[in-house]
Amino acid sequence: MANANNQRLRIYMTGVGGQGTLTATNLLARVALEMGLEVTAGEIHGMAQRGGVVESTVLIGGWQSPVISHGEADILLGFEPMETLRGLPYLAPKGIVFSSLDSTPSPGVSAGREKYPDLGMIQEKVKAVASRSWFMHCREMGREAGSLQSGNISLLAAMCASGVTPFTADALRDGIRKFMAPKLVDSNLKAVDLGIAAI
Amino acid sequence: MNHPLLGKEGERHLLLGNEAIVRGALEAGIGMVACYPGTPSSEIPDTFYRLRECGRYVMEFSTNEKVAFEVAAGAAHGGALALTAMKHVGLNVAADPLLTSTYVGVPGGLLVVSADDPGCHSSQNEQDNRRYARFAQMPCFEPASAQEAKEMAKEALLLSRESEQPVLLRTTTRVNHLRGRVDFGPLPDGPLPVKPYKKEPTRFVPVPGVAKVRHRALAKAMDSFREMSEKSGWNTVRGNGKAGVIASGISRCYLNDAIAQGGYENELTVFELGFSFPLPEKKLCDFMRKVDKLLVIEELEPILETELRALAQQHGIQVEIIGKGGPLTIFGEYDTPKVSEALASLLGKPFQPVPVNKPEELPQRPPNLCAGCAHRAFYYAVRKTFGDDAIYASDIGCYTLGMAPPLRTADYLFCMGASVSSGSGTSRVRKDLPVVSFVGDSTFFHTGINGLINAVFNKHNQIIVILDNGTTAMTGHQPNPGMDQDVLGSTANHLDIESIVRALGVTRFAKVKPYNLKASLRVLEEMKEGEGVRVILAEEPCVLYARRTLKKARPQVAYVAEQGASATACAQEFACPAFSRDGDTVSVDDSLCAGCMLCMQISDSFKARKKEAVNG
Repeated sequence: MANANNQRLRIYMTGVGGQGTLTATNLLARVALEMGLEVTAGEIHGMAQRGGVVESTVLIGGWQSPVISHGEADILLGFEPMETLRGLPYLAPKGIVFSSLDSTPSPGVSAGREKYPDLGMIQEKVKAVASRSWFMHCREMGREAGSLQSGNISLLAAMCASGVTPFTADALRDGIRKFMAPKLVDSNLKAVDLGIAAI
Repeated sequence: MNHPLLGKEGERHLLLGNEAIVRGALEAGIGMVACYPGTPSSEIPDTFYRLRECGRYVMEFSTNEKVAFEVAAGAAHGGALALTAMKHVGLNVAADPLLTSTYVGVPGGLLVVSADDPGCHSSQNEQDNRRYARFAQMPCFEPASAQEAKEMAKEALLLSRESEQPVLLRTTTRVNHLRGRVDFGPLPDGPLPVKPYKKEPTRFVPVPGVAKVRHRALAKAMDSFREMSEKSGWNTVRGNGKAGVIASGISRCYLNDAIAQGGYENELTVFELGFSFPLPEKKLCDFMRKVDKLLVIEELEPILETELRALAQQHGIQVEIIGKGGPLTIFGEYDTPKVSEALASLLGKPFQPVPVNKPEELPQRPPNLCAGCAHRAFYYAVRKTFGDDAIYASDIGCYTLGMAPPLRTADYLFCMGASVSSGSGTSRVRKDLPVVSFVGDSTFFHTGINGLINAVFNKHNQIIVILDNGTTAMTGHQPNPGMDQDVLGSTANHLDIESIVRALGVTRFAKVKPYNLKASLRVLEEMKEGEGVRVILAEEPCVLYARRTLKKARPQVAYVAEQGASATACAQEFACPAFSRDGDTVSVDDSLCAGCMLCMQISDSFKARKKEAVNG
């Protein structure tokens, strides 16, 4: 898969509003620019801030469109396991998945009207279509690092450390130091270490 | 003031499309900005507001888009370089001044930024505001990247300054909310100078005799813009293929990615249209003569397609024009696969759609009123009082989300500020059901107030609930006249809604705190009786705004002390997002509970306890 710096790569990210998905997206896109990669990123928000699904994209290597359509994502980053499953149609054939295993129930699930999908089933469905996949407990890593939202950064770190993209863990660390608020830097650097250790 | 957007020439930053527009305005020497927020345009005023202390320009949040347009146009009349930005439907509100501003002109220069929303990501329609460029007769630029957003904003402002005519920068959600690399140009020391004032009522006061003359002046100005469009670097042709393709706006991105993916570069002649109105007619005719057939790629309305057909007919050009059809519809957004399919068809190539994993049937996550939202609290009381035996006129804001079960307190909606006036009409013809209209504080000041004036004037018969959460919550807490003076600071005045309502002649008025359920129910029962205009002001800060800006957090959270029918009924009817339910067991998520304690007032099963520190 994509390792060369000029490789075109589409990364599709999905999560639940208010959980820092867009912060992670913005950070990754800035890291790409710092690394000298051509980058376009996109996000759909607005009403999604009220607990809805937040979808975002980072595309590197010269793609102009910020949109990733079904069957186009080389990498899917799922910050919430049910959203990973919902996002699977976006995955390209032989795409790669990184996903959190910590669930956030939807309103219908909370109200007892609907059933949250089985986590084992989610992993099986992902493995059936992805060439490689990693699952990790992002919320727990976030808690250990000092803030729940930094769990998203653990997932980014896992992707950076996996070698399947031009991103590196060191570039991510540099990005955290340069672009995040000073009080958030330590917990997010710790989250990077935890994410690397998780793969 | 130190901010990346104020950086020096040569700096390179990753910017949101909307931030890039702000940078472009700064590079042009912007002097005055007036906006009303609306997704997907909101980051433009938000960014100007955040940077206002740099002292380069004056910025205000106006009370609606018409007012914002007029403030900006007035500043431009006064000689300053001005900008107004709004979402696509906002331009409908501002259409009146817009369509005459092009007649009289704007000496200081005025850029109108329209943020359209194909796909209705956060809007009530997907109207195509390229029509306004034609309707009002003004030049239109359509960027497709962050860099272009910056460059075009700057160029459009300077063009307006030079020509003294308003110019449109037409964007779409994907452009507003993409992020990309932007290389900065030079930043002037400050705004362009305010031009000396010249009284010229025979130009600026469009009484009929003046207006007729100005219409001709406008046509002449459009001729000169057409010449500029012919020469513009934003309108480019490349390639020598006998198959032609033309695209504007974000569709250019889909086109270029589809060409790269399919390896079609050498088989096509590609026209990219950035200065998209007036059309560069000569250049387009030359292009159409070169190709046998031509694919037009434009989201939404077939505007370019129709105009190219007319142009080909007028000039006797034999070319097959392929526009709307197949994957390219008038609905929603395009993307690279759709354009790839259309290109393959144009070139007579086989199109192999990418195999797609089957979507799963999964629980949805519809947008929802937050835990602790006072709208939910008041809607619950309304539902208890009226149930389905009332017609609920809704309006634009977070409170539109009351349409979802179990609250179901929105039966119809037209546009910003329509609840009160549309409720007036409905109640006039329907005697079987009472009408309850809901309007937010920002929407009340936007145009809801007009409906209230009319309701008093014409003796309408309805209950009007002003859901006052003290901020413009839906779009990200922008200032409005109802906001606390402390938050507004020294540059704006707080206006008291109660005083306004009473001054308008409303005699049946009640103010209530929605977190007090008994009080809400009592007020609703009182107002249910009798006739005429009855106004309830339901006042409680937005729970997010209270936490983030007012630094008010409630010390308690709720928990379920006793499981049973009462607890499950509360979970079903109140449906706070902090609740979760597993069979007959209800629980409250500490991290989500905002401590409004409505559930305690609904059911004895809920109790309060001190909030523990979370997230260490």
